Amino acid sequence: MSTIAPTTTHTSLRAEGFTCPSCVSEIEKQVARVHGVAAVTVKFASARIEIDYDASVVSVDELIAVVAKAGYSARVAAF
Amino acid sequence: MNAIRTWMKSRWAIPAASGALIIAALVILQVGTTDIFGNILMVAAAIVAGTHIVITAARALWARVIGIDLLVAVAAIGAVVIGQYWEAAAVTFLFAIGHALETATLNKTRSALAELVAVAPDVAIALRDGEQMEVAASAVILGETVLIKNGAKVPVDGEVIGGAGALDEASITGESMPVEKVTGDRVFAGTVARSGFLQVRATGVGADTTLARIIHRVEDAQDAKAKTQVFMDRFSAWYTPAILVLAVVVGLLTQDIVLALTLLVIGCPGALVISIPVSIVAGIGRAAKDGILIKGGEFLETSAKITAIAVDKTGTLTIGRPKVTDVVVLNPALTRKDVLSWAGRAEAGSDHPLSRAILDAARNESLDVAGLPESTEPVPGKGIVVTTQGHRVLIGNPALLAQYKISDADAATRAATALAEAGRTPMIVVLDDTVAGVIGVADEVRADAAQMVSDLHAAGVKRVIMLTGDAELVANAVAAVTGVDEVRASLLPEDKLDVVTALQAEGYIVAMVGDGVNDAPALATANIGVAMGAAGSAVAVETADIALMGDNLLKLPEAISLARRTVNNMRQNIAIALITVTLLLLGVLMGGVTMSIGMLVHEASVLIVIVNAMRLLRRHGSVSSGPAATNTTMPATRSTDHGLTPANARPDQAASATGGTP
Repeated sequence: MSTIAPTTTHTSLRAEGFTCPSCVSEIEKQVARVHGVAAVTVKFASARIEIDYDASVVSVDELIAVVAKAGYSARVAAF
Repeated sequence: MNAIRTWMKSRWAIPAASGALIIAALVILQVGTTDIFGNILMVAAAIVAGTHIVITAARALWARVIGIDLLVAVAAIGAVVIGQYWEAAAVTFLFAIGHALETATLNKTRSALAELVAVAPDVAIALRDGEQMEVAASAVILGETVLIKNGAKVPVDGEVIGGAGALDEASITGESMPVEKVTGDRVFAGTVARSGFLQVRATGVGADTTLARIIHRVEDAQDAKAKTQVFMDRFSAWYTPAILVLAVVVGLLTQDIVLALTLLVIGCPGALVISIPVSIVAGIGRAAKDGILIKGGEFLETSAKITAIAVDKTGTLTIGRPKVTDVVVLNPALTRKDVLSWAGRAEAGSDHPLSRAILDAARNESLDVAGLPESTEPVPGKGIVVTTQGHRVLIGNPALLAQYKISDADAATRAATALAEAGRTPMIVVLDDTVAGVIGVADEVRADAAQMVSDLHAAGVKRVIMLTGDAELVANAVAAVTGVDEVRASLLPEDKLDVVTALQAEGYIVAMVGDGVNDAPALATANIGVAMGAAGSAVAVETADIALMGDNLLKLPEAISLARRTVNNMRQNIAIALITVTLLLLGVLMGGVTMSIGMLVHEASVLIVIVNAMRLLRRHGSVSSGPAATNTTMPATRSTDHGLTPANARPDQAASATGGTP
């Protein structure tokens, strides 16, 4: 019997206004707590958030909302 | 109502409200008899500005992070508790307004990249079933035909299949001169059509375009940590909790709570933490706008230290498209056209750049070189032996003639040597065992090559070395015109690697400019690998340490100069941050520096650091002032011309230094 691994979707968000580098770890920890998120990396200088998640469990909009609660507005990057 | 609501959400609302309350409090304190109303207003101001700070500090703490906000929050709350209402209000107000100012200016330093992202096209006009349809730029299908009208943004990477026009490629190559495009030329997404009408076949869409790759690369470069920055990050990770501990200890030891709280405020490492990233973001962003992609902070630091540059001759110092410059006829029974046509017919099957030069010259003179030779046999290092139309033709150097025992080779050898001294690559043509003539092929030296070399020297590079597989005579001729410090000729590809290693052993920091494919090992060994004309190559954009998008040679010294300025900027910022903290510390210990003054100076230092980095965004007084007007091809017009004639301006051969067709 084969087990089907959950498909991981990767998305990049471009956010606005990272001014303090300590925000980086804060956002990472908040997003990592969300159920369905496999990995998250925040890049301070380019204001990007890279997230690997299971699309059937959590949606991009929910992830954007979590980032917003941390205090930053983000949008899905077109490329 | 909406306007008020929008303003309330802006970053200036809180500082403004807090500031207003403070002013009101000060007025009342001056005027009133008791202090209580004034104090209440002060506390109110502190609450207005401080709530957000406390919330941020709490969120960070919950994520087990000790940040600057925690230091400020503790200081402010402590101040209120001990009755220092003015200090509490001032500290929170200054921090809030400082934060607003920082966000505004930091966004400016990111503006270069933001502009690049904004250049990305949204819509495309695709030709589907004969109909013009407007679709999202990312929805274009590979291979589809896209129409580009006057004034429109090119939505995809592609190849021109019809029409003609001029495109402004500044967003990709950094050069503002519009480039003419005709059938077969390559176009890039994000460029703007200045005139004409083009039909383009899509070869790259969305994330697969040069623009997307540039943006990703700039973002990755801005994120990549310079060595100094890695150290700085680790430093601030323990520094902030250490300040907290220090303040507690000092407070307990001296029983002076005000001193402890003041230490919290001046200990904030805001300026230090931002000092390096902000310079790197500005420097890399500025470079990208000029069509220079630098891989990251570490490469910036190394680029600033370059002392030697190894440059490949063909394609970098020269245009890379050899042309026939001389046809020397040695057999009195033949004419110039005969020699050229036989050479053309013999080279018809070959793809070598020198062969193409001969074929182009023959076709230009309307000579018949149709069809392929019956047999072609290359003799490595010497030339080719070809049978065409029943005749045997040899094309090569004197060694080939010796091998095939061709008599009267002396005249040919002398003519070949004369051409070589004049900077051409000579090819002796032999028809049926009799020497027919010698053809000279030259690769035009780029108009701004000499300027580039002198700019490199001005930018601090001590040695500029030309590497080439060509013969020494030809190489020396090019070297004399361009002013390079050293020539290494007759190199095999693996020899180039040895040159780089030898230079590094002598203590130079070496940059190598090459074409990626043949020079890969040498490029990898050099401290900095530079790719030119990278717009056409996805691999170059993604892997070269410095990728120059356009064809403009003068961007290379500009890149080095920019790297030096950025590194200096970083050092200035670190100095500003450290000096500020030291002065504040002295001020506190000697008395006279209160919490509010400490916060004021701290915020000022952060802003000074950011504004200093913004200086990098300005267009620097140019090193590259455009291509020199004089073309430096060495024109030899007749076979009796043995020497190097001085360069004349030849408008018909004016080298175009702007990025153009590959």
